[in-house]
Amino acid sequence: METIKNVLDPRVKLIIVLSLSTTAVFIKDVYYLGGILLISIMISILFNSPLLSLINKFKRMLWLIVSLIFIQSIFIADGTSIIALGDITFLTIQGIIKGLQLVLRMLIIIISASIMGTNTSREIVQGLVQWRIPYEIAFMVSIAIRFLPMLTDEIRDVVIAIQLRGIELEKIPLRKRIKIYSYVLMPIVANTMVKARKLSTAMEMRGFGVNENRTSYHTLQMRRIDYAVIVITILGLTTILGQYYLQGG
Amino acid sequence: MIDHVSFAYKKQHPIINNMSIELFSEDFTAIVGANGTGKTTLGKLMTGILKPEKGSVIIDGLDSSKISLGAIGKKAGYLFQNPERQIFAPNVYEELSFPLEVKGMKKEEIERKVNESLTIFQLTHLSKVFPFTLSQGEKQRLALAAILINEPKFLILDEPTTGLDIERKNTLSTILGRLKEKGIGIVMISHDGAFIGKHATRIIELAGGEVIGDNKKCLGSKSKTDHCA
Repeated sequence: METIKNVLDPRVKLIIVLSLSTTAVFIKDVYYLGGILLISIMISILFNSPLLSLINKFKRMLWLIVSLIFIQSIFIADGTSIIALGDITFLTIQGIIKGLQLVLRMLIIIISASIMGTNTSREIVQGLVQWRIPYEIAFMVSIAIRFLPMLTDEIRDVVIAIQLRGIELEKIPLRKRIKIYSYVLMPIVANTMVKARKLSTAMEMRGFGVNENRTSYHTLQMRRIDYAVIVITILGLTTILGQYYLQGG
Repeated sequence: MIDHVSFAYKKQHPIINNMSIELFSEDFTAIVGANGTGKTTLGKLMTGILKPEKGSVIIDGLDSSKISLGAIGKKAGYLFQNPERQIFAPNVYEELSFPLEVKGMKKEEIERKVNESLTIFQLTHLSKVFPFTLSQGEKQRLALAAILINEPKFLILDEPTTGLDIERKNTLSTILGRLKEKGIGIVMISHDGAFIGKHATRIIELAGGEVIGDNKKCLGSKSKTDHCA
């Protein structure tokens, strides 16, 4: 039996992702954003996207998310004060709401983007090409999708290698630790440049860009269900945005 | 000590299957086996980079799951299959000096140790060079020098002879011989039969995530391994 993730054209998924991300950017209300996050999670589960591994990553980033809420709220001085020292306000209700908005937006964008992980980069490129996006740009997108996980692997390896030099990161003062983390950047940038050079050579060796009109062995074909989902998505998007702005935005 | 260790990257495909091995610092242990038999995974388990799903890895009396990588790094050094993964400073000298600086060693002492290391590994003329422009053999030597400057008690080398010419292999051979004399335990994961034949006092053969052979050259060491080749 065909699962929903295999049924839909990657372009339809791209429209869903763009719609969810767009609403997340335009809407400021925390309740609305919470609702959109819920919808994103449900769609993500429906498409069988790698949500569990994402949640595991979020767990590790929990401290960052919480600190983001507080950092964001510290810079907002309006609203009812919660923590203040004399005349200086450190935390306000308005500030916390702003922080929550930021975090909810981030979560919506990341979770909805995970839906694209249910397609191969080749399928996504094909979708973009059939949308008449220049192949060079579509190919760049596919390279980004292909190399991003490798980049995270490399960062992890470098941090491991640094620790295996007998450096106990958790016991080192913050200033020294920041200097150590600066070492992570060097091999990542150098390796990326080396990889880019090798990739461009390999592409030229295989005649990239020689023929102006490219043909594809695999082509995508939109079906009725694809059009139906696009219509439902656009209707959903306009309803949510319309409702939000009618209520005074 | 690897004690009934199992490990899998994906649940359905175990890479290491209920494996038990005891390693001794007086041995030069070679781990051999075909591609995909779990050699590199075993090496990463030995250094705590990977944590076992079942069983335990005991490093110098401490469970690898309960100590930090930094603490393991003070006891054991690990040479990655690809040395580029463990090079990160803007020049060769700093590559060797920065862990010592972080540990708060005196400047004169750092200078002495780094210069000594540069000489041993024939890298003195490259001390100001950007490490990523070095040849494969030079990177290999730099990575090894960077590990050894920490004075680990145990060394795990993953395919250290890959990409080395005969002359560089001989240099590596001399260096490893000296380390052995100093009493540093060495585990080498390799396909290089000639190199293993020259140095190894114990050969562990893996297949399908299990030990299928554990042979020891009887050189009068105190190892508890029974078999002698």
